[in-house]
Amino acid sequence: MGKRFGVLLVLLAFIMVFSGTGLADEVRIGVYEPLTGPMAAGGQMTLEGIRLAHELYPTVLGKEVRLFVEDNKTDKAEAALTVSRLIELHRVNAIIGTYGSSLAMSGGPVAETAGIPVMGCSPTHPLVTEGNDYYFRACFIDPFQGHIMATYAYHTLGAREVAIIQDIAQDYSVGLSHFFRQAFVELTGDPASVVGMSSYQTLDTDFTAQLTYLRGLNPDAVFAPGYYGDVALLITQARELGMDIPFLGGDACEAPEFIEIGGQNVEGVAISTHYSADAPVTEESTKFVEAFYEKYGHAPSAFAALGYDAYLLILDAIERAGSIEPEDIRFALSQTEGFEGATGFITMDETGNAVKTGVILQVQDGEFIYAGSVEPQ
Amino acid sequence: MTKKQMLILFIGAVIVAGFLVYANLTFDAYMLRVLNLIAIYMSAALGLCLINGFTGQFSLGIAGFMAVGAYAASLVTLPIAAKESIFFITPLIWPFSVLELPFIAGIIFAAIVTAIFSFLIGFPVLRLRGDYLAIATLGFSEIIRVVSTNTISITNGALGLRGIPPYTNIWWSFGFAAFALFVIWRLINSSYGRAFKAIRDNDVAAEAMGIGLFKNKLLAFVVGSTLAGVSGAFLAHLLTAIDPAMFRFFLTFNVLLMIVLGGMSSITGAVLGASIVTFLFEFLRYLDSPMDLGFITIPGAPGLRMVIFSTLLILMILFRRQGLMGSKELTFEWIEKQLARFGGKKGKPREGDSHANP
Repeated sequence: MGKRFGVLLVLLAFIMVFSGTGLADEVRIGVYEPLTGPMAAGGQMTLEGIRLAHELYPTVLGKEVRLFVEDNKTDKAEAALTVSRLIELHRVNAIIGTYGSSLAMSGGPVAETAGIPVMGCSPTHPLVTEGNDYYFRACFIDPFQGHIMATYAYHTLGAREVAIIQDIAQDYSVGLSHFFRQAFVELTGDPASVVGMSSYQTLDTDFTAQLTYLRGLNPDAVFAPGYYGDVALLITQARELGMDIPFLGGDACEAPEFIEIGGQNVEGVAISTHYSADAPVTEESTKFVEAFYEKYGHAPSAFAALGYDAYLLILDAIERAGSIEPEDIRFALSQTEGFEGATGFITMDETGNAVKTGVILQVQDGEFIYAGSVEPQ
Repeated sequence: MTKKQMLILFIGAVIVAGFLVYANLTFDAYMLRVLNLIAIYMSAALGLCLINGFTGQFSLGIAGFMAVGAYAASLVTLPIAAKESIFFITPLIWPFSVLELPFIAGIIFAAIVTAIFSFLIGFPVLRLRGDYLAIATLGFSEIIRVVSTNTISITNGALGLRGIPPYTNIWWSFGFAAFALFVIWRLINSSYGRAFKAIRDNDVAAEAMGIGLFKNKLLAFVVGSTLAGVSGAFLAHLLTAIDPAMFRFFLTFNVLLMIVLGGMSSITGAVLGASIVTFLFEFLRYLDSPMDLGFITIPGAPGLRMVIFSTLLILMILFRRQGLMGSKELTFEWIEKQLARFGGKKGKPREGDSHANP
């Protein structure tokens, strides 16, 4: 049985290898997202948006678009491998991905070397696109997000002294708290206006030590740029400690679980995000929200909207370039101006970052309610 | 070593080198990346094999040493301009901020730093045995990760390092894997190697026979960990970006899996295990994507490959607990016999020919 089984395996291997190649008359778009591992939730949400966009717009330049989805397992080595796989094995014309800036940073150089443009959906770290001509993104970057929340804290809340509590094990959290601090100090003109900074680690469940320290500093507001689970828990514990001051969060708090975990305690918490289903900004957003409800039966998250936009941005670039050559797509992408996506009007700056409106949401009666927009600087 | 064995070794080396030249010329970047990963994990697996398999000291600190090696090498090879742009929250501390050395210097630096770290950690913890040692080394690995998350002025914390020059290529990674293979092979067949095995089989008896337990354990631990550290350095220069989250327990588990699959105390097993696990994980990706078999289309389910992989592992543990090779090796005697068989000169090979060590 051994030998025959071996032959069968080899045959199967060949079939699989060659089934990957297909028609030349199609546009191949690769997707690499964390579909398993710690960031799987974000990757899945993004993929929902990409799939919906593909369903609504299945062709470009009269050619059929084929999606190649690869899972990067929330692992840096796998992220680089999947990008390489998409390029070499699936011969894609452009790539979409990925949730998680650290993953995008290891996938980026591979695409740059091969000369394939990548449209990031939600990696907000500034270094993802810097120095890489082939990486673009549909989302705003952390310095702008920091600016949004600093402006909100300063003008809307009237806070003059703030404290920050960050997740030191997450690049996203460390970066965002840095940019928030910068923006807030700029607004007040006083480096001492950020009265204290405290850190925890992912998977921590007890934040009382950090919170007690921050309570002693008596800030007007606390900025907590962590992931939804930690932040919800942290705010709950803060309320138990009698801290009634406003809490602010970043886009990673936008998940139904945030309210499920936090319940009554997260009422009034404001977060910055990319988009709100309550306040459709363009015609495309209305279309997206309706189609999304129809397909999935629940409201789209900002990540789904960004995945949707990332796909559309690539299609738009192909249309304007009139070509599916990666180099032409890259050039057209860099020229994107006033593109109407589901998350607003998008213009690419010279680094490849989207310049667009930021949205502030606030928790009211157990729901995220649209609380205002901040225009790009 | 006889002349015939030298010839076999030479031919084997030529075949491997020939394959690598062929791969380098014709394989695409993706396949080359997989090959690079195989070689890198192979070096780490060989290091772990020496500690866990041959000396019987159950170490779970391999990810920590890979992290040390990766950071040490990257910090000296990163271009100064890149350092300035990456460390935008807290600047990099002095000696590293002005260093920009060639790759080989980075590798040597990584080897020295991991050797020092493994000596410092091995010195106190190797007095422990069995489970206690496993827990102590696992703790060390976690400490390295937490420290590298918090020492922002050296490691850039959670933001990690980016823009590391992509120096790792087939020649470097396989060259080092061959070097690791040679080191372990020579070590195992020296008096030290016999001492290691004696300690593994029964440390009380070994001590009674006059073998210095601590000295030998420490030697195996430092050599094994240093190999892992250097493989971490190669990994960093392959990926060009590293952060502390890469070096979680999961990485240790992955390398451990390779030597368990290949056979704990077998050099051949470590090589096979690293190749099979790395290759299979990539190959099984086909299971994740939708498959069109002509008559039926199976929708893709992300993660299916991991289910299949785990099933294979469970079957492996159920039916072949000692791993693919057990403690057997691919030996010259075995190759000679096979050659003789195909040459039709000598008698039939018997069962269990691969038992003997060279």
